Amino acid sequence: MASHAHGHKVKRYSGLMDWLTTVDHKKIGILYLMAGGFFFLVGGLEAVLIRIQLMYPDSNIVNGQTFNELITMHGTTMIFLAAMPMLFALMNAIIPLQIGARDVAFPFLNSLGFWTFFFGGVLLNLSWFAGAVPDAGWTSYVPLAGPDFSTGKGVDYYVIGLQIAGIGTLLGGINFMATIINMRAPGLTFMRLPMFTWAIFITSAMIVFAFPALTVGLVALMFDRLFFANFFDVANGGNGVLWEHIFWVFGHPEVYILILPAFGIISEIVSTFSRKRLFGYSSMVFATVLIAFLGFMVWAHHMFTTGLGPVANGLFSIATMLIAVPTGIKIFNWLFTLWGGSIRFTTASMFAIGFIPTFVMGGVTGVMLASAPADYQYHDTYFVVAHFHYVIVGGLIFGIFAGLHYWWPKMFGRLLNETLGKITFWTFFIGFHMTFLVQHFLGLLGMPRRVYTYLGGQGYDDMNFISTIGAFLMGIGTIAFVINVFVTWAKPRNASNDPWEDGRSLEWTISSPAPEYNFQQTPLVRGYDAWWKEKMEGKKAMTPAEPIGSIHMPSPSILPLFMSIGLFVAGFGFMYDHLIIAVGGLVITLGCMVIRSLFDDHGFHIEPEDQEKGVQA
Amino acid sequence: MSAHDHVEGQLPHEPEKATLEARNKILGFWLFLGAETVLFGTLFSAFLALRHNIGDGPSANELFQLPLVFAATMILLTSSLTSVFAVQALHNHNKKSMLGWLIVTIVLGLAFIGLEIYEFLHYIHEGHKFTTSAFSSSFYTLVGFHGAHVAFGIVWIALVIGQVLKKGLTVVTAPKVYISAIYWHFIDVVWVFIFTVVYLMGKVAG
Amino acid sequence: MSSNQNHTASEEAPKRHKVEGPQKHIVGFVMSLALTIIAFAAVSAGEINATFTYIILVSMAVIQVIIQMAFWMHMKDRGHLFPIVGIFAGVFVVITMVVMALYWVWW
Repeated sequence: MASHAHGHKVKRYSGLMDWLTTVDHKKIGILYLMAGGFFFLVGGLEAVLIRIQLMYPDSNIVNGQTFNELITMHGTTMIFLAAMPMLFALMNAIIPLQIGARDVAFPFLNSLGFWTFFFGGVLLNLSWFAGAVPDAGWTSYVPLAGPDFSTGKGVDYYVIGLQIAGIGTLLGGINFMATIINMRAPGLTFMRLPMFTWAIFITSAMIVFAFPALTVGLVALMFDRLFFANFFDVANGGNGVLWEHIFWVFGHPEVYILILPAFGIISEIVSTFSRKRLFGYSSMVFATVLIAFLGFMVWAHHMFTTGLGPVANGLFSIATMLIAVPTGIKIFNWLFTLWGGSIRFTTASMFAIGFIPTFVMGGVTGVMLASAPADYQYHDTYFVVAHFHYVIVGGLIFGIFAGLHYWWPKMFGRLLNETLGKITFWTFFIGFHMTFLVQHFLGLLGMPRRVYTYLGGQGYDDMNFISTIGAFLMGIGTIAFVINVFVTWAKPRNASNDPWEDGRSLEWTISSPAPEYNFQQTPLVRGYDAWWKEKMEGKKAMTPAEPIGSIHMPSPSILPLFMSIGLFVAGFGFMYDHLIIAVGGLVITLGCMVIRSLFDDHGFHIEPEDQEKGVQA
Repeated sequence: MSAHDHVEGQLPHEPEKATLEARNKILGFWLFLGAETVLFGTLFSAFLALRHNIGDGPSANELFQLPLVFAATMILLTSSLTSVFAVQALHNHNKKSMLGWLIVTIVLGLAFIGLEIYEFLHYIHEGHKFTTSAFSSSFYTLVGFHGAHVAFGIVWIALVIGQVLKKGLTVVTAPKVYISAIYWHFIDVVWVFIFTVVYLMGKVAG
Repeated sequence: MSSNQNHTASEEAPKRHKVEGPQKHIVGFVMSLALTIIAFAAVSAGEINATFTYIILVSMAVIQVIIQMAFWMHMKDRGHLFPIVGIFAGVFVVITMVVMALYWVWW
């Protein structure tokens, strides 16, 4: 490893220390993928346990309390600790490459964001070992989650774990907004950005404006539970509906935070494997912005049955239905991109093509639910469960699988095995529809969600059985993917720069995986689909925008890890009323902040002769 | 420019924006303030929703004393002016004057915190405790969050002063001065809404 | 190339280095002061009806905040497009929440 620095020697680590101290966006992306993948398996295991319990009527494999814990942790884990981190993995791995940058705007904060997410997630999941698991649902509604009805420590784990993890998410949002605004290569104007970058830009903005609301809600609930405040305590003038508002002011943008990146991934893949320019690029951008805007004005559609009154219900109902318009624009644009293209059916493109009808089904039930009078019938039944799994699994998780298969060579330098990939796709796709299609009908028949068992002979039995078998198939699909990862790991690193041969954006112009500094020379972008444009003109590489020169890199740092450990310790201190420990943890965190502020990071330089050697991430 | 003997080499007119790293920091900080806007906005919503639910405690009208609030407001407003003077001195590369204004800002910030602590102790004495009612919980959370921001700002500016003393006025320290000043103004802007919505409206509503 | 970052839309056109005067900041301060005093006076007077007082208070606050942001937070300077977009997106979210909190639910 090269480390000639102008004047400042910087210690470079290897092995484990390298991963603990890295500020390289590509390595942080891999860390996010490993941690998010691990939590995905944990959440998946919880899902399978839920389905096993519901396989037959009157079964008692887990009791009601454990079931409540399972559904709460399944939802919380999947949303905050699996789906978002895996999106952050793709964001980190790909966005700087797509915009021709050498790193993100704030490499240090990027690392801090990962470690706070990780320790928040660990804290939340340690509840399983502490014997006090959150059990008030992933929405943690009060008064159930308040101090009177959740007397144990369970909900405290939820409240504190999510606060710590939320810091990381907020930092990521700010970081990627600043990166995309300030770090684009010359010529890469906003209306030439790849669709994935656009989606991440808008998603980051939504994170920045939605997560603080959750933080306030969690702080208020924490004050109620730990310090006897009265935000939600009706007996002392508090208001339970306030929690619902605050939670969904965050919560509804959150679902768009999840799905917009998937839209971006699908746009990239559909275009690449149809070998066509994305149809209606500017309308795609417009639709993305519009979805984000409307996403902040529809939260009360989760609360139609709360009793907000006909005016509020009517307005929120209309606003919700409006979202179908930009979403429809996107669906048609994908179809028109596919239309007349010479489509290649790789695993990535199969997931992308499977996404389209699946997401349409989730969208249609969404419009059904948006109708306030009808929602009184659907509310809190399996119909809702089916709807949001269609958009989150059928939308987001398909998108993530598509993105992982597509960008795996760029992240790891190896193509995933296509045979195993197709096994993953078919088992997961069929399993998914088996699990959740029948749940619509279970809901319409009246089966309530969040019940740990049901009586036989009400017409629920067969469909629950089918649903459970489907869940097993999804599990097999996931296992096939994990096997694929390990099989691929053993293969040599031989992916070319542009392994799909039809790559369109800048990430396909550099080696797989990208060198530590990404671009030896910053590329000059001459149009939308920058790389495709050059290829069509017979060029073998991008035109550089600068001469070859010494490249400045940020130094690695262990501080983000310690700052997150400080918060983790402080969380436990607050939870178990050891104020000294809590203060100690905060002192660690603040102390690290002071150290970071006092000692300037001069970074180091990679000289041209070392660049030739191919310094690899 | 007589101020130039205070700095190493030539600094550009706006040294806080001289490097891309610094421009990234300033942009990122603004985005963070966007997030802070939502954070305080949510606290305001909660307060507005709960402000009439005073339980057995005293009402806003009985509790608040306008002279005290007016004094606190004046102090914070003046500190905002002094911190903008510091940024102006930064633009003119006048290190001594910049440090002077930053120290005045800190002193005013400490005075504000002192008044707030006195005010809270007084309220607790009047039976307006954190746990008294939904009104009191949301009041202390909102105003306390703001106070915590002020306290954090004081520590931050003190650290920045230390760094400028040690390292001089450079393209690395200049953005730190600038960003801490932006933060300080933001705190003042939030206070404008606190004295309006919490104190003055509380006085009107009775 | 001594920086690891890419320069988009270089804005470092040479500028004339002129000493900044305190006048505009003092103007901002005096305006803020006046608005604050009007707000406190409106409440202390106590003879105007409540709704009208609310309107005065909120307008004074909004004007003062705009003045402070423009004068002191340099928002009227060049290159502040994204800060403005950022803050106003936040304000937009806050307004929806506050309107909801005040009107539909608890009024």
